[in-house]
Amino acid sequence: MSILFSKDSSGANAKSVNPLQKFIYFWIHNLRQIITSIGEIWRTPLASAMTIGVMGLSLTLPATLHIIVKNVQSINLEWDSASEISLFLNDGLSEQQISSAIRRLRSYDEIDELRYISKDDAVTEFKSLSGFGEALDYLESNPLPASFIVTPTKYHKQADPAKALLAKLEKEREIDFGKLDIDWLARLNAIVSMLEEAVITVALLLMISVVLIIGNTIRLSIISRKEEIEVMKLVGATESFIQRPFVYTGIWYGLMGGLVAFLIVTFVIWWMQSAIGEISGLYMADFHIEGLTFSEFGALMLIASGLGFIGAFWSVHRHIKEIEPDLD
Amino acid sequence: MIKFEQVSKTYPGGFRALERVSFHLEKGEMAFLTGHSGAGKSTLLKLISMIERPSIGNVFINGKNLNQISAKQVPFARRDIGMIFQSHRLLQEHSVFDNVALPLVIEGTYTQGEITKRVHAALDKVGLLSKVRLLPKYLSGGEQQRVGIARAVVNKPPLLLADEPTGNLDPELSKEIINVFQQFNDVGVSVLIATHDLGLIARMKNRSLTLKDGRMINDGLAVDDEKSSTGGMFL
Repeated sequence: MSILFSKDSSGANAKSVNPLQKFIYFWIHNLRQIITSIGEIWRTPLASAMTIGVMGLSLTLPATLHIIVKNVQSINLEWDSASEISLFLNDGLSEQQISSAIRRLRSYDEIDELRYISKDDAVTEFKSLSGFGEALDYLESNPLPASFIVTPTKYHKQADPAKALLAKLEKEREIDFGKLDIDWLARLNAIVSMLEEAVITVALLLMISVVLIIGNTIRLSIISRKEEIEVMKLVGATESFIQRPFVYTGIWYGLMGGLVAFLIVTFVIWWMQSAIGEISGLYMADFHIEGLTFSEFGALMLIASGLGFIGAFWSVHRHIKEIEPDLD
Repeated sequence: MIKFEQVSKTYPGGFRALERVSFHLEKGEMAFLTGHSGAGKSTLLKLISMIERPSIGNVFINGKNLNQISAKQVPFARRDIGMIFQSHRLLQEHSVFDNVALPLVIEGTYTQGEITKRVHAALDKVGLLSKVRLLPKYLSGGEQQRVGIARAVVNKPPLLLADEPTGNLDPELSKEIINVFQQFNDVGVSVLIATHDLGLIARMKNRSLTLKDGRMINDGLAVDDEKSSTGGMFL
């Protein structure tokens, strides 16, 4: 593109290219800039390592918190019985009444599953679980009520909807009363949602700091290459041509920081696995921490490189414009 | 090629660097711009290279008013002007090849093969083809200046601007550098050289524009008066 001279005059920049060629050249050139911008990181290895390290550590905290929340939630899901509702039936119901009640309750949208435990079943279960079942043999009649064990649908397992469902079920005429260990569930849910809030807050703060760190690193890199930038401006480089390598460097910082965070998180999980294995062994529970999935790793890298991009872009826009060339 | 029309430049703070300067450098002409330090030589070059904009008046290059060129267009306009600096301004961490190739890479429309060909041709013209792989710091001052010239001419601009290109060189090397400019001028490139090396100007018998305190006090041959002024100055 020639501004001052038309193409036919005196051979100035007489090279003309079609749009396709231009497009291809653009991408070839970008690719070259992407690769050489890694070199920029090697140019100042210590400063770069520090930036990447700080980034990695900053991203490790939210990533670790995320894993904690995820695993606590999975505990929550595993202990389904916590959100089972026990409904005790009135005494003296006929078989027919019970089966019609079962049919009616099963048609509820809120109910996923319903299990009927007859008076006889209750006795058998009591005998096997309580350890003093013989005591029942001394009674004349079976004192245990028949019951329904209701598993609500996923939504209605949450504290408030579960409570509402219980109240609704208790109004059924066959039901004497129901029971739901709602407090325990409510507490766990509260803790989980608090942790989630904490993760979001901490992540947000640390992301801002990551952007600032990258922005500052890029600023220093721009200052150290002031002379080069001036020369490029003098020989006709556009702002975006000069800015691009710095932005790529920012993205590389982000990716490397993300990778560091991933490695640290993986190490932490591996480290805690054995300790947790011991505890869960004592409780005879089969529990292990679930680490970062592949898509979560992808998200981490995407966020990290995105932050690198934002930091670099912001810095580059502020500082490269400030550099005005002079003749000497 | 370059035309100044009643151009004044006042810097913030009130310093008046140029006052109502007018001249016309014809296409294919080679001229010296001279005057004491602070006379306005640098300001004049900065107006041509769009580092600064005039406070009053118009600067034309090839008939195009530079006042009409937006900030976004400046980089593209600069590609038509080859600039040479007193301190060469080479990128010290890059090889001679990379330095000379820079304008072509920036333009972004050349293949690797074309770049190599053009860089070699430019270095050949300044006699430094053998040093293509070296870093600038291993070259002498005169050689570095020639690399600077090669960089300025590699994309074949129709106009060369030089700011004290011989400032740090001894007379012998200065002559060499000026000869290089002369060669480009011989093939039709317009050249404007700012210098305070009066001896050099006297030897070259080119048109010379003299500035004093921001005013153009002489337009013609500096010492020799046998040919009266060539350009259509003071229009």
